[in-house]
This record gives sequence, structure tokens and C-alpha cells, in this order.
Amino acid sequence: MDLELSDEQRWLTESVETLLAREAGPELWDRLVEFGALTVGGEDGLGPVELCLIARALAAHLAPVPYVAGAAVRFAADADLGGDAVALALLEPGASWDAAPSTSVDGDLVTGRKVAVEHAATAERLAVVAAGRVVGLVDAGAPGVTLAAQPALDPTAPMYAVELVDAPMVALGASALRRMTTIGTLLAAAEAVGAAGRMLEDACAYAAERRQFGRTIASFQALRHLLADMYVRQASAWSSVLYAAAALDEDADEAARAVSVAKAYVSRATREVAHGAIQVFGGIAVTAEHPAHRFLRRIIVRERQFGDAAHHERALGRALAVVPQTVP
Amino acid sequence: MRLTPTESERRLQEEIRGFLAAERPDAARLPHALDARMEALRAWQARCYAAGYVGRAWPLEFGGGGRPGAEQIVIDQELAAAGAPEFANTVGLDVLGPSLLRFGADAQRRRYIPAILAAEEIWCQGFSEPDAGSDLASLRTRADERGEEFVLSGQKTWVSWGQFARWCGVLARTHDAGPRHRGISMLIVDMRSPGIEVRPMTQITGHAEFCELFLDEVAVPRANLLGELGDGWKIAMHTLGHERGTAALPRQVKLRTWLDRAVRVAAERTVDGAPLIDDPAVQTALARALVAVEVLRHHAYRTVGEFLNGGAVGPDSSSVKLLMAEAEQRLAATALDVLAPTLEHADAEAVEENEFWHETYLYSRAATIYGGTQQIQRNIIADRVLGLPQE
Repeated sequence: MDLELSDEQRWLTESVETLLAREAGPELWDRLVEFGALTVGGEDGLGPVELCLIARALAAHLAPVPYVAGAAVRFAADADLGGDAVALALLEPGASWDAAPSTSVDGDLVTGRKVAVEHAATAERLAVVAAGRVVGLVDAGAPGVTLAAQPALDPTAPMYAVELVDAPMVALGASALRRMTTIGTLLAAAEAVGAAGRMLEDACAYAAERRQFGRTIASFQALRHLLADMYVRQASAWSSVLYAAAALDEDADEAARAVSVAKAYVSRATREVAHGAIQVFGGIAVTAEHPAHRFLRRIIVRERQFGDAAHHERALGRALAVVPQTVP
Repeated sequence: MRLTPTESERRLQEEIRGFLAAERPDAARLPHALDARMEALRAWQARCYAAGYVGRAWPLEFGGGGRPGAEQIVIDQELAAAGAPEFANTVGLDVLGPSLLRFGADAQRRRYIPAILAAEEIWCQGFSEPDAGSDLASLRTRADERGEEFVLSGQKTWVSWGQFARWCGVLARTHDAGPRHRGISMLIVDMRSPGIEVRPMTQITGHAEFCELFLDEVAVPRANLLGELGDGWKIAMHTLGHERGTAALPRQVKLRTWLDRAVRVAAERTVDGAPLIDDPAVQTALARALVAVEVLRHHAYRTVGEFLNGGAVGPDSSSVKLLMAEAEQRLAATALDVLAPTLEHADAEAVEENEFWHETYLYSRAATIYGGTQQIQRNIIADRVLGLPQE
């Protein structure tokens, strides 16, 4: 039992960092596809650990690409998507992440309303979840698909309400929804860790430079302890993601539960890191021009996606109450 | 990256589960009186040592098993999972033994290590003093060289199992010049020496597991110096780091057994006719404790992995220490709160269980104090992990 990254995994992380340092514009998605960041599964493709490493790096740069959705759908189903961007159409108006979808399927036509569909306007496909725990792919430009922009907390992850009226859908396999939700939950957590990690790094650098009372603010124990606590949250949040990714990779029985643990923990931990960082930056971090709020926005959006901390804690608590306990 | 045990680890697990099923004393049946309890724990450690489960990774030539460190971790986790009693000589095994192995002369290792493993000689540590807690380098116990001896005088505190120990690793000041932590040496002190007085202290739980130690002109042979003169600080830091780096996984398993126990009790006990666990607020509170305990395991795997693959136990062991204390305190307080509606009903059958939860909660407050306080761990992270400037 160890969570050491392999040399290939380290190399992957460095290469993605290099790519992100060079390419921040509209070409980013195509560069990621060329790089192989969406080549998932199989002998040479990426597994859950690699996908999490990439998601973490993308969020550290606030990359405005639908990576969580694109990687999750490819992990869930063996569909030939080429380099298409995919948007996840899961949540429905007035319903929770738990609720059975009311979107209906009639033959291969799907009808229903979805909200919080990220990047729908630039996606080629929609992954639509429908009644009967079905997930299928719909061409974003197909007849019967209408998009309406929704206010979005994180402008780098624009959101849309989607109305589907008898839109043609190609259903994915039976296990696709479960696999898509599990990996999607984990990738959302990995992104939150990426954004929080960047805030921690920037807060440490700022505290080491900013001077008050004739010395750096990092020399004050009140801030040293705050930063140390942020570090512990950040490092352990990443450990929980890596563990769940390894469990998913090994197809361990506890994988789904480990993903829930990670999502519950990461959601609270990354918010704590973000709040701490804003405190370290001080007033400047409450201005629109300072990047802190952009990272915080990404963290909150990822916290909500696939259920927030309270959602996963309730689920874990229900499982504790019914399942006889054994020590792993 | 690897979660599932290797084939040989799996065989070891099977083997030890068989051993435990046959041999494990029932922790609840251990004698209550401290002397008899100590004898039972000593016998238990000796049985486990004879079976090859103590010092598995320690060198063969000193009575260890000479096996990879990962095997001891598997063993420790199995022992904890089975709710096996702790070993009598935890201070020897976790603290002074590793220091002797790393810094001791061959003659010292041959003399002391086998008896530590077999629980023939119990060890204690004399580090903290009434005026030297977190600021350990300010310690005032003195060891003055007189010919072939040191003469040791001073007072130590928080000496766990001091009343049963044959040997004590004492940090004492051997010079006054230069930086104060360089003037400290580590001496191996025979607890039967004249001039030693041990006074047990009653803890918050009502038990008396730790002691005050008074040293009045105790003669210590020069051969009992561990490492070189002035190495005491280095040895103590190595020792504490080692403890933080490797103790987390068995501790985590122990916490998991407590959590499972709290869940079981919450399912069995009712208030106003309904099981405690049916309350969604109880479920969520237990889930948050579960998350803390699980994440401790995940984070410890990452640090232990580095350690087992040849890396040193680095300053990052401080983050494991902080998470371990946090998980223990959250779990203990959660269990207390969840079971609260039933804890004051004088049901005779529930007395022992209630006492367990009260003691567990009370003693959990020590978790952010012992082995370097929460604040000291944060200092270590700020200085050595984050490298924040001092000025």
C-alpha cells in the first residue's frame, strides 16, 4: 500500500504543466486532444490517476475547458468521440444530484430539461442522463436541442439550461452512468485541489514578500500557522483523491465509497484553503482584479458538481447505518 | 502506486489472523490492577515476539526478523484491527529501540535490543521536564562527567510506564557552551540505580500510566552514552520523527475499530424508542468522523510509501501527526455526543461501555499535546515544508 507516483505519472504531470504554460488560448482543447489527455482506458490510454493529475493541473491554470465532462464520458463508455468536447447534462431543475431524472426516452428520442450544463455552447456532444438510469449522447446541434445561457458563478465554466424535445440520442452501455458519475465526482475533486493548490502557493509567495511592521508577514506566527494548516488540508485532500483514483484503477470494492470520502473531504478542505489564502492576501484579494476570487469560484463550482460535502456525508452516514462494519 | 497487498503480504495477513484467533487475549478481560495488567501485556508481547510479529524489520543479528518494513506495517494493522492489546514495551519499540539501532554502538545494541523485543526489559523515556515542554532544548537535567561516569541530577516528567521500566533514555545537559541544543546528550539509565525516585501521576482518565522521575546524583557509566557527546538532540528528533512516520497506520486502524464500535453502540441503543443511529444528524456526524479517519489513512499511505521506498521520515510526517490528532479528537468527541442521550442512564450492563467512551474522549485531548504539540507541528511545517522566512 503506497501512493507513490510512477516515473511516467511524474513525466505526464510535467508535460501537462509545460503545455499549459505555453497554451492558454482557444486552441487549448485541441492541444490537449493532440497531447493525448483524452485518450482514456485500454492498454496505452490514461487511467483514473492520470486523469486526476491532468484535471488538477488544468484547474491550477483555471483552464476554460470541459475536461471533467470529456474525460468522464470517455472513461465511462467505449464511444468513439474523436476530439469532440462533451457537456454533461445531468442535473434537472428543482432536483438534487440524487434524484432519479425525469427526462424521458422514447425509442431513441429524448425529451426533458437540464440545468448547469457546463460549456454546452462550445461542446459538440451532450451526455444526457435520462429516466431508467440511462445515459446517452446527443449531438449538440441536433434538432430539438435548445440552449439558454445561465448565470454562472465561475465565468471560466459557463453554464447553460438545455431543453431537449425529441432529440435523437445514442444510449451508452448499462454501467456507463455509474462509471461516469464516479469518475466525474473524482475529477471534480481533483480540479478543486488544483485550484486550491495554486492559491496556497500564491499565498505563501505573497506572505514571503509582503512587508508590514518592518518584516515579512510570513514571519508572523499567526500567519505561519494559518499557512501550515492550509498546507495540511491541501496535501491530505490530494492524498484522498489519489487514493480514490488508485482504488478506481484497481476496481476495488471500496472505490465508490473512497470517491465519496474524497469528494466530501476535498469540498470542505479546498474551501478552507481558499478562505485562508484570501485572508493572507488581505484587502487586495477582495478586488475583482485579483485572481483569488476566480480560483474560489472554480472551487465552489466543483464542490457543487456531483454533490457537495453535505451530500456525500449524508450518503456515507446512511451506509454506516445499514452496512455491518468491517475494517478494510 | 499499489493498494492491494502483495501475495506474500496476503499470506502474512492470513497467518497472523490465524495466530490472533487462537492467541489474542480478550482486551476487556485484562486485569484492571496496573501491576497485573503490565504482566499480562508483557506476556502478550513475548508471545507475539516468539511468533515473529515484533521487530519484524529489525536486524536479525540483534534478534529482529530482518524482513522488509512493509511487513511490520501489515502486522501492526492486523493487530490493531483485531483489537489486540497494546504491547508492554511500546516506548522501547517505537522510541528508544529505533534510536539504539540508528545511533547505538554494537555492544549496546546486542545488550539492549533483544530484551526490548521480548519485553524482558521495559523502557521509558526521560525527555520533558516541568520547565522544558515544547521548548525541549531548555532542559536543565545535568549529567556531569566524573572519571568513567556521568553524575545525573534533575527532574523529568510524562515518563510513561516509568514505574515498570528497567531502562530510561534520558536527555541531559552535558555542556553549557555553544547553542543550547548542542549541549544535550542521551544517556541510558538503569532505573535500579541509587538516587532514582519514580512517582506515578494520576491522569485525566483516572489511570496512572505516566510518572514523574527524580534523579539525584545518579551514577551512569560512560558506556551508557548513546551516540556521541552532544548528539542527544539529533537522536531525539530522529526518534520523534520515526514515531510520527510509522505509528500512524496502526493508530488509524485502531481509530477505525473505535468508529465501528461507536456505530454498533449507536445502532443498539435507543432513545425515546428509536435507535440513536436512525437520526440523520447522528449519521452525518459519524460520517464526518469516518472521513477524517479515512483521509488519515490515505495521507499516511503517501508518507509511509516514501519512507518504505528509502526516503527519510521527513518534516511532512508533521502533517500526518496533525491529521492523526484531529481524527482522534473528532471521533472521540463525536462518539461522546452521539451516545450522550444514553450515557447517564445507570444501566449496569452499559457501565463499562460508557466508561470507555468517557475515557477515550478525555484522553483524546492529549493527542494535540504529546509527541510535539499541534503548534510545534505547525512550526515545523511553516519552517521546513513551506520554507517561510523568519523575518
